[in-house]
Amino acid sequence: MLKLCTVHFFFLNILIKSLNLSQFDLQVFKMSGQRKCPDCGSSEIVEDAHYAQNQLVCADCGFILTEGLLTTTFQDEEHLQEVTYSRSTGQNEQLSRCKLRGIKRVQDLCKVLYLPAVFEDTALSYFQRAIEHPSFHLVSLEKKEILVGCCVFVTCRQHNWPLTMGTICSLLYADKELFASVYLCVLKELELDVPALSLTDLVKTHLNSFKLFQSSASVPAKFAEDKEKMVARTIQIVELASETWLVTGRHPIPIVTAAAYLAWQSLQPVGRLTCTFARFCKMAGTDLPPPAHLRLKELNDILLRMASQLAWLRVLNVDKKTVVKHIGDLLQHRHFLLRSSFSSGDTEDQSATAVGDGSVSSPQAAGCSAQAEGCHPGGKQKCSSVRRPLLPPCLINPRKRLRTAALSPSDQAITGDEAISDSEIEQYLRSQEEMQEFSKAQAWH
Amino acid sequence: MDADSDVALDILITNVVCVFRTRCHLNLRKIALEGANVIYKRDVGKVLMKLRKPRITATIWSSGKVICTGATSEEEAKFGARRLARTLQKLGFQVIFTDFKVVNVLAVCNMPFEIRLPEFTKNNRPHASYEPELHPAVCYRIKPLRATLQIFSTGSITVTGPNVKAVASAVEQIYPFVFESRKEIL
Repeated sequence: MLKLCTVHFFFLNILIKSLNLSQFDLQVFKMSGQRKCPDCGSSEIVEDAHYAQNQLVCADCGFILTEGLLTTTFQDEEHLQEVTYSRSTGQNEQLSRCKLRGIKRVQDLCKVLYLPAVFEDTALSYFQRAIEHPSFHLVSLEKKEILVGCCVFVTCRQHNWPLTMGTICSLLYADKELFASVYLCVLKELELDVPALSLTDLVKTHLNSFKLFQSSASVPAKFAEDKEKMVARTIQIVELASETWLVTGRHPIPIVTAAAYLAWQSLQPVGRLTCTFARFCKMAGTDLPPPAHLRLKELNDILLRMASQLAWLRVLNVDKKTVVKHIGDLLQHRHFLLRSSFSSGDTEDQSATAVGDGSVSSPQAAGCSAQAEGCHPGGKQKCSSVRRPLLPPCLINPRKRLRTAALSPSDQAITGDEAISDSEIEQYLRSQEEMQEFSKAQAWH
Repeated sequence: MDADSDVALDILITNVVCVFRTRCHLNLRKIALEGANVIYKRDVGKVLMKLRKPRITATIWSSGKVICTGATSEEEAKFGARRLARTLQKLGFQVIFTDFKVVNVLAVCNMPFEIRLPEFTKNNRPHASYEPELHPAVCYRIKPLRATLQIFSTGSITVTGPNVKAVASAVEQIYPFVFESRKEIL
């Protein structure tokens, strides 16, 4: 009896084991030659995973030959692979709300500025790269807004589209300093290379926004001007400014505004000389940036110097109000006039001493050969007396600066390891009476 | 004028910043009470102490870390730092002068010619960055020396670096590039 029981038990074990058909068995079945579908007889049997459960299915009629287990035991589950929550819910494939909002802002900004579609794609790619960085992902909403503006700004600069930071800041109502710091951060993190702003394109874009090209209620007929002529003359004046150190290191927009005003006045000086700069800007519908007055003064100064070299203007006694009338002539001959009215630093000294000598021949020898042609000898002395070196304005009118005196010889011999005397230290400590006075004074607070 | 000819450039060191540790806790209130020439900033938790002879301003934290600024050479920085440590010793703290290190050196140098900044930026693209709307100078970084130079159109150059030697070699390195983009006579 016992023997039968043990045998029975043994068979039961085998039976249980065989019921626990696992994946291995399906493979064993596959290995044991081609299967034929019992229903239609085709040999097209494929292994399909239906809801992660392997099945052998006939490809023609859909008959299921074998099925895996519908439930798993604890032992089986130990060998299964874990799927993380973020993968099973598809979290990483979706875009977060912050990124979606940023993408929409980039697209809106591109539409407002009428940028081509290529710009939008580039800006979006930069934004998506930047937002992954911890320095842009974990910051305030204000900075994320500015990041949107920075991506669009970088895209425009790379395609040589003239867009200034001032425009972007005013569109986004952003703080200029914050924009500057985020912009420099973006350039560093994304390792981008941005070419310089082209002034010619900037002139064209900026003048497009001026409302002077048609006469209207606020613009009388004699103030309206042809766009092409004004743009061409403004570009010439801006080029003159960049050759004479007025542009380097300064904001471009005030220079463009001042140049536009001079160009506009010079095209029809008769009626327009009385119109002030402020009135001109109000009519044109742009605001007047504060440095523009200084730029206008500097431009006038340069033009006056050039005017003093033209033979027929020297007679007319041109001053800063009337020089505007002759801008056309000055611009036509500007290369020659610049060369003759300005000199480099060393020839200036030589010509100054030559004037002191009073001889005509030595300035000719001392001056540059290129400048010797233009001026006739009679006017050469006068030329050299008004000539000034072509330097940036900050060197011509230097601001007084306190410079600490150079180290004296005794100071230079300091090694850092000298002995320290007690008396030297006593001067930095308070005595007992001073301490009592101090604590009494503090007690009143 | 050839770039290789020897040109003596005066590099004027305007500021040297150094740090050292006192390896003991400092009672800031006691320093503020017993020290002359001190300003106690209670809200940020530091004391500013100014020395007269090497003109140095020191920021002292209660953890014992001290930062000294205002020296005009590395030796003067150490000179002033040791005097500061001696003053703290006299006030009664168990000060040990350790971990002295010069952290930053700021120097100014003048080139004898003006520089055309847009041209300079174009020729030195990855290292130089010029944004006239933000700052009137070109910012040039030399990564191996960890030095930053600010180059102005007037020829004045401001250099910051980790020590005086790095500053000097930075100026040496930049001279040929700056010479290329100098302003030519019209």
